[in-house]
Amino acid sequence: MKPARFRYLRAASVNDALQALAENPDAQILAGGQSLIAMMNLRLVKPACLIDINRISNIGYIDEDGDGVAIGALARHNDVKHSPLIRERCPLLTEAYESIAHHTVRNRGTLGGNLCHADPSSETPAVMVATGATLMLQSLRGQREVGAEDFFLGTYETARRQDEMLTEIRLPGRRTDGWAFAEISNRHGDFAIAVIATTLRIEDGRCEAARVVASGVGEHAARLEPAEEALIGGPIDDARLDAAAAAAAGAVDPHSDSHADAAYRRDAIAALTRRTVRRAAARCD
Amino acid sequence: MYVGQAIRRREDERFLRGRGRFVEDITLDQPIAHAAFVRSPHAHAAVTHVDTAQAAAMPGVLAVLTGADWTAAGHGEAEGVWPVKDMSGADSRTAYRPLICVDGVVRCVGEIVAMVVAEDRHQALDAAEAIEVAYEEKPANTITAGALDPDIPLVHPAFGTNEVMVTEHGLKEETEAALANAHHVTEVVVPTNRVTAASMEPRAYLGHYDRVNDRYTVWTTNQAPHIVRRYFTKSLHIPEHKLRVIAPDVGGGFGMKLYHYPEEGLVLWGAIVCDRPVRWVGTRSECLLGDTHARDHHTVGRMGFDENGKILGVKFETLAAFGAYESQWQASITNAYHFTMLSLAYDIPAIHTQVRAVYTNATPVDAYRGAGRPEAVYQVERMIENGAQEMGIDPLELRARNLIPPEKFPYQTALGITYDSGDPPVLMGKIKALADYDALRAEQARLRAEGQWMGIGISAFFDMAGAGPVKMMNDLGAKVGCYDVASVRVHPDGRITVFAGSHSHGQGHETTWSQIAADRLGCDIDHIDLVEGDTDRVPMGIGTWGSRSLSTAGMAVYTAADRVVAKAKRMAAHMMECAPEDLDLADGEFTVKGTDRKLSFAAVANASYHSGDRPSDLEIGLEETSFFDPADCTYPSAIHLCVVLVDPETCAVTLRNYWAVDDVGTVINPMVLHGQVHGGLVQGIGQALMEECAYDAESGQYLSGTFMDYAIPHAEDVPSFGLDAHFTRALGNPLGAKGAGESGTIGAPACICNGVIDALWHLGVRQITQPMTPKKIWRAIEDAKRTQH
Repeated sequence: MKPARFRYLRAASVNDALQALAENPDAQILAGGQSLIAMMNLRLVKPACLIDINRISNIGYIDEDGDGVAIGALARHNDVKHSPLIRERCPLLTEAYESIAHHTVRNRGTLGGNLCHADPSSETPAVMVATGATLMLQSLRGQREVGAEDFFLGTYETARRQDEMLTEIRLPGRRTDGWAFAEISNRHGDFAIAVIATTLRIEDGRCEAARVVASGVGEHAARLEPAEEALIGGPIDDARLDAAAAAAAGAVDPHSDSHADAAYRRDAIAALTRRTVRRAAARCD
Repeated sequence: MYVGQAIRRREDERFLRGRGRFVEDITLDQPIAHAAFVRSPHAHAAVTHVDTAQAAAMPGVLAVLTGADWTAAGHGEAEGVWPVKDMSGADSRTAYRPLICVDGVVRCVGEIVAMVVAEDRHQALDAAEAIEVAYEEKPANTITAGALDPDIPLVHPAFGTNEVMVTEHGLKEETEAALANAHHVTEVVVPTNRVTAASMEPRAYLGHYDRVNDRYTVWTTNQAPHIVRRYFTKSLHIPEHKLRVIAPDVGGGFGMKLYHYPEEGLVLWGAIVCDRPVRWVGTRSECLLGDTHARDHHTVGRMGFDENGKILGVKFETLAAFGAYESQWQASITNAYHFTMLSLAYDIPAIHTQVRAVYTNATPVDAYRGAGRPEAVYQVERMIENGAQEMGIDPLELRARNLIPPEKFPYQTALGITYDSGDPPVLMGKIKALADYDALRAEQARLRAEGQWMGIGISAFFDMAGAGPVKMMNDLGAKVGCYDVASVRVHPDGRITVFAGSHSHGQGHETTWSQIAADRLGCDIDHIDLVEGDTDRVPMGIGTWGSRSLSTAGMAVYTAADRVVAKAKRMAAHMMECAPEDLDLADGEFTVKGTDRKLSFAAVANASYHSGDRPSDLEIGLEETSFFDPADCTYPSAIHLCVVLVDPETCAVTLRNYWAVDDVGTVINPMVLHGQVHGGLVQGIGQALMEECAYDAESGQYLSGTFMDYAIPHAEDVPSFGLDAHFTRALGNPLGAKGAGESGTIGAPACICNGVIDALWHLGVRQITQPMTPKKIWRAIEDAKRTQH
């Protein structure tokens, strides 16, 4: 084996997992393992204990939840990607999955694990923030709800406490919102260089609400409020598109790495904002 | 006839069913111990202290070995088989890649400092982590372009310079004069990016010492097992006759698996020390770091044209990276395969090239599919493309004006190499029709008017394949004889085993060698087995690299089979009471010409071993060996053409179309040929668009250690290829075949880069360093905007 030594616990139920989390403050939950195991194999992380939740039954569901959707902790990416219910009620997520990872990774990886991993270039956090999703966190102490906007705190850092498990993701219904997702990566399915997820509401030709959410250009997925403000209050015309694109570029402070430099990322954010807003506007009912 | 048929690969069933036998699959009577390595995390550092005490006491640990132990044991180094010669003939500044750090200085990230041998892999890795190494960091340089600048840290201070050697080739005065008198001169700075082969199977080694019989065995992921045997005479001082090298199924080599890597020597050392077989299987990260890297040239080129776009002369000054040390075949690139091929498919009267090889604090560079020729094509083709654009001549038309005409063959280039055969204008005509070139130009103009950026790229070239002849390659620097060997053994039942000194690690020799042998022997292809990759079963051989196997080992199969037939005919003639010349051999039977008298090949084979009734001067047995030294290299040629689309908003490149027309002489198996071209193209596309072994310029840290950082193309990143062919016979071998393994990687990087430049020329973009990722294209456009304003 390539990882450093660790203890392995297999949870038979959510309660079991919560019990183990409470008893092992240095434990990590193993869901799909598509990021965690790779990092363990490189010995970049060395958790003392893994709590495997893969044998817990009935937590991989994708169910109706009012006019929204409730997704269980173990729902695999590919199940979410191909879910007709998601396509109907949260098509932004379906569209985002066109850019997320590769088939084999999606087959095993879970949406919940992906959100808890909180990679700064990850696509799903942007979708959660753009749709206003709610994350259900449970511990032996009880359950609490955290809005997606408050969940992502930094690179690999979330509001989830050590003894908590993300048990459910609640996506609100789409209503009349338009949506669009766009990403740039060096190769399809790779880590994103820049991501924009946009939702819009247009009533009587006037943009009433907008969320423009960026990923890959900061420590975590975040709304670009100046861009949203530039869109709200009038029709989505060229002037508003230009203003929103410029505001989006101004609202990010991206990093440089071997894949892309900061200046390119900023320009890419402007291009993706223009592209997603245009498409989202066309999709408003 | 089997030759020329697209026969399905006989080896594929075992690979597709997961029944291949790779180094990691080997089992032995004795339990196999595992090696793990401690590698330098620094690009350049003094190793001040290595504390192995804690590791040595850990569970399962059999040995912890360091450079001090290596030195104490009197072991040596991985000496080059193609050592560097300076043009003056003086000794170049050679520093071979050490198997383990012995002089207290590490010179690149990943250099091995210590080895742990333990009962299992987990224990070995845990113990390796427990070894404490104290480093004193030194300033490092990983950048080839600046390696000879003043104040750049020296990789080997004892040499007083980072320069390994200088070579110059071609016609210096003529070239200077041509440039001085040219109507137009194009100058381009072209760095060729550092890439690596990234074979599907990581490198892996298993070493075993049989103390009773004093014999050593190494199972290795290597393309040339007989040369591995030779390496060990210098590293562990094992005589060749005491070492058996087995290269079983190997999952891809691409040149990268030709070398005596540190881990290969160290596992056998560990096996000797521990008296246990020892295995190491590389992780992807270890391999992306430690496999030899490739290319990494920095070239300034100037090309002169007359007013009609005819090339008058071209001059290159290149810095060629060696990395931190000299790998065993490195000089085959700088001293043989790069400079010789700089004329490509063009009739260029004057060429001059100067190459200065340099040390940097980076992984050693060595041959990888194309080895020097992708660099050459990139360097020349970038000049031609920019020259055509600058002069306002259609790029395909300018190339057509400069192609070597068929009547000039055999054609001697300005660099002294003679292409035996070829017809570049026919290739150009075919690709122009295949791609519907004029329609593409019309589409490009239409799209540009709509604000869409489409580009058309072209490259045209010759390859030098099929090394030897022995003498020619010796003259170019090789210390190994570039022939190859095959034996054809007919068993008493008429079935045949072919033994070849080549090694198939994807090439399909079990199919193609059998096609050649079956035709010569007039037998069913299913009656033939092939043995390769075991020095105890195939006593000599030079191995598979440089698109050489068909025109060396394949021809040895051809020749040995003919000798078998000649001998069998004598026996058959004796049995049938006729003259050998009266016999035909086909479908497993000898027939007396013009009669219905027949005798089976099997009966003759049986009699050859078991009958006392034979010609008095005919030896018993039916087995022949040929050591085949070809009369010449082979010179395959090709022209590539592609269409790229660049997204004006994100600067992402889509490779929409790719066509290639190849001249590889006689084709043994068109399906295998297409597989070679496809695979090569994908690797070339990777070099052009996404692959790069990147180092942090400040720290010298390696940034491409996983497949998330080192991007190779996926199926969806490449278009369906449009291939065509035209055949001119090679003159150096009886089948007229030319090498076909490297065409794709050689031509694709230049072709795609030219396409991107063509798409962006109107914006003022003149050169983009590969890989042409969106950020680099974006930067080039931004820079062009700034220059123009």
